[in-house]
Amino acid sequence: MTLLQWRDEYRIGIAEVDHEHQELIGLINEVHAALGADRSSGRIEEFLGEIYARIAAHFALEEKDMRAHRYPEFSQHKADHERLLDDIRDIMDEHGESGVLDDQAFSYRLAAWFGDHFKTHDARLHRFLRVQR
Amino acid sequence: MKLLKSGLRALFLRLEQVCEKFFGPGLNPLVHLGSLGWFLFWIVTVTGIYIYVFFDTGVTQAYASLEYLSREQWYLGGIMRSLHRYASDAMVVVVMLHLLREFAMDRMRGNRWFPWVTGVPLLWFLYACGITGYWLVWDQLAQYVAIATTEWLDSIGIFAEPIARNFLDSSHLAGRFFTLMAYIHIAVPLIMLLFMWVHIQRHAHARVNPPRALGFAVLGALVALSFVVPAMSQAPADLDRAPFEVGFDWFYLTVYPLLDVVNGRVLWAALVGGSVFLTLLPWLPPLRKAPAAVVDLDNCNGCGRCFADCPFGAITMSGRTDGTAFDQEARVDADMCMSCGICVGACPTATPFRRAGALVAGIELPALPIAGLRDQVLAATGALRGSDRVVVFRCAHAGALDAPADPGVAVVPMPCVAMLPPSFIDLVISRKHADGVLIAGCAEEDCFERLGNRWVDERIANERDPNLRNRVDRDRVAVSWASPVQSHRTRESLAQFRQHLRALAASPHVGRTGTAWRAQFSQLAAPLRVVGMTAVLGAVAFLIGWFATRPAYAYLDRDQALLKLSFSHAAQPLQPCRHYSPQELAELPFNERSATTCKRGRWPVYLEFELDGRTIHRATHQAAGLWDDGPSTVYASFRVPAGQHRLALRLRDSGRATGFDYASSATVSLTPGQNFVIDFRGTEGGFQFGRAPAHGRSTREVPP
Repeated sequence: MTLLQWRDEYRIGIAEVDHEHQELIGLINEVHAALGADRSSGRIEEFLGEIYARIAAHFALEEKDMRAHRYPEFSQHKADHERLLDDIRDIMDEHGESGVLDDQAFSYRLAAWFGDHFKTHDARLHRFLRVQR
Repeated sequence: MKLLKSGLRALFLRLEQVCEKFFGPGLNPLVHLGSLGWFLFWIVTVTGIYIYVFFDTGVTQAYASLEYLSREQWYLGGIMRSLHRYASDAMVVVVMLHLLREFAMDRMRGNRWFPWVTGVPLLWFLYACGITGYWLVWDQLAQYVAIATTEWLDSIGIFAEPIARNFLDSSHLAGRFFTLMAYIHIAVPLIMLLFMWVHIQRHAHARVNPPRALGFAVLGALVALSFVVPAMSQAPADLDRAPFEVGFDWFYLTVYPLLDVVNGRVLWAALVGGSVFLTLLPWLPPLRKAPAAVVDLDNCNGCGRCFADCPFGAITMSGRTDGTAFDQEARVDADMCMSCGICVGACPTATPFRRAGALVAGIELPALPIAGLRDQVLAATGALRGSDRVVVFRCAHAGALDAPADPGVAVVPMPCVAMLPPSFIDLVISRKHADGVLIAGCAEEDCFERLGNRWVDERIANERDPNLRNRVDRDRVAVSWASPVQSHRTRESLAQFRQHLRALAASPHVGRTGTAWRAQFSQLAAPLRVVGMTAVLGAVAFLIGWFATRPAYAYLDRDQALLKLSFSHAAQPLQPCRHYSPQELAELPFNERSATTCKRGRWPVYLEFELDGRTIHRATHQAAGLWDDGPSTVYASFRVPAGQHRLALRLRDSGRATGFDYASSATVSLTPGQNFVIDFRGTEGGFQFGRAPAHGRSTREVPP
């Protein structure tokens, strides 16, 4: 079962950002499936590290593009990025200390954040870019 | 070379330490020499424009217009003029210190050759600006500069007629000449500005403005100097007399007195040779540098953070080459990369957290990959014990820590502390690999890799991406900026930081956030610092004011006069011209017909000059031109005791083997300081003693 489904309405209009969004959705689904199948803690740590690095890089790219377009709601949008990265780091540390991870809760939290972020911040950015063009 | 470099470095580090006591690290003039050079350039430009408004070009007008500025308008024009002179002198001081310092700190080898090499022509431009500037005043110093410079230029031997002949006596000088000099004096600084711009091309975020407070302090010192010792003209120039002594600007005219003891060509060769040597210095010996950073496209989405942080402009963002949907990728120019690793510290994928694949960042330093750094950190922290465990990330250029082995301290060395991705600090603190992280880098404002300290400070203060996550307690992250002679500061910082960590362990609190923790050092009381700053700047200003005119340079002894023998004379042709026969004429193409035909080439001029019965000049002067068909030129000057002298001159300008074609003698009475010119005009009977009668006494003036 796939956790997150890419939808056309998530598109923000910058090709590379849309591409990476789809890649990230793919990665999250992959992790979700892998966590369901293989619960050994070594793998979980690696998946978390992978997700953290990939998302951090993706945000860096999206922030660069927002800066380039002088997006007026940049700081709110970036704050939402920082919130998720802080969340992931908290989860990584919790898992590292206790060795347990409620992987279902984790996947759903991640999916919820993305769904929410797509519908609010990214949608606003999309509207801004469309008007700007 | 190595010895010289390390000696100079030790000297600079000591000097800087003294300066830092008064100025603090932020305003230390010795770490802002480059930007001070720019600042002084702008002062000279602005004051120069002001002076130009009032400056008249003309033999007497030039001097008079500057006298007006200095005397009638002393409160503004005079100050402008003084600032123009003293800021120019200060520029020589700043530029020379800048050059020595970059050499001493070894910041010119390897891929940093570019600013060094482009700096060499800047020195020539700087001196050309100063020398032409002194020329324009047309006082006695200007007269000396004009004659010495043109004689020196003539020594190269590329000018058909000596340009020093323009300054032979007052009848030779034209006002137009000042128009030309004024334009040279404007053009050279403009070219210099262009080179200054090229000079900083390979530096990202080049500092071209000093800190505002330092700029004001320097300007203040120069204004004070201008009020106390205003720059004035010396006595007006008089080409019929030679000055005995001139007030001398030792900053710009440093090499001129050497012309009294060495041949002009030797001095040119020394200066050109010196410049070539300077240019080659970055490769003496070549720097053996770690391999350049490499990009891993699988982990690079083109976010541009490494590009934004590279201090040397070695990274460019260019079109994607791997067919993915990303727009750009980072590319490293290995010829510009200094292998400092700052790009790695900026990369969002450079994290210490294990990943599904191999732990590789989007940009990596082959000598110290992220995975290796992670292993080093874990190994170093694994053995730590206590409640005040600190891992020190230490820059390769900062002072040695020299701390005794301690179970509570682990040191991880790196090329530059800005290579450390903030997520490493996050890992160490939040997973409690240590109780605190100390980042020990170069002296503040003086990072060897230019921007390392700044980026570290800004990343920790959450002002620059990638930032240190807010979840990390800043009370456990400390920075220590210290030069190699300040390693005691790093030790002191470490000791204070561990004490702070022990206090945190006893009563945990999250106090300050925002910026990194820093040790407190006792510093001089504010009034003392102001006194110190004033003393340092005042001393420099005093030296500038002193050496701008003192000690005077003795050009001629009080009882001497100057004899100048100078002329330009076309000797007889090797073969006399002959008329074409009508036959020959008919054979020539229509457009080449003329009455006579001449073989090219002239005899050399042979000249003997006897002073009081003693031969002081005897030489053969070749005809000028590629075909030896131009005039022979003679230019020689002699310092002689004042009084009566018997002069005898003999000249041969034909093919005869013995005897002379012209001979003259005269008895002249020379007054001290007199400039007596001996000319030769074949059409006016030969040698002419004293000033040329054709022009009379008045100088040729061109009305403005």
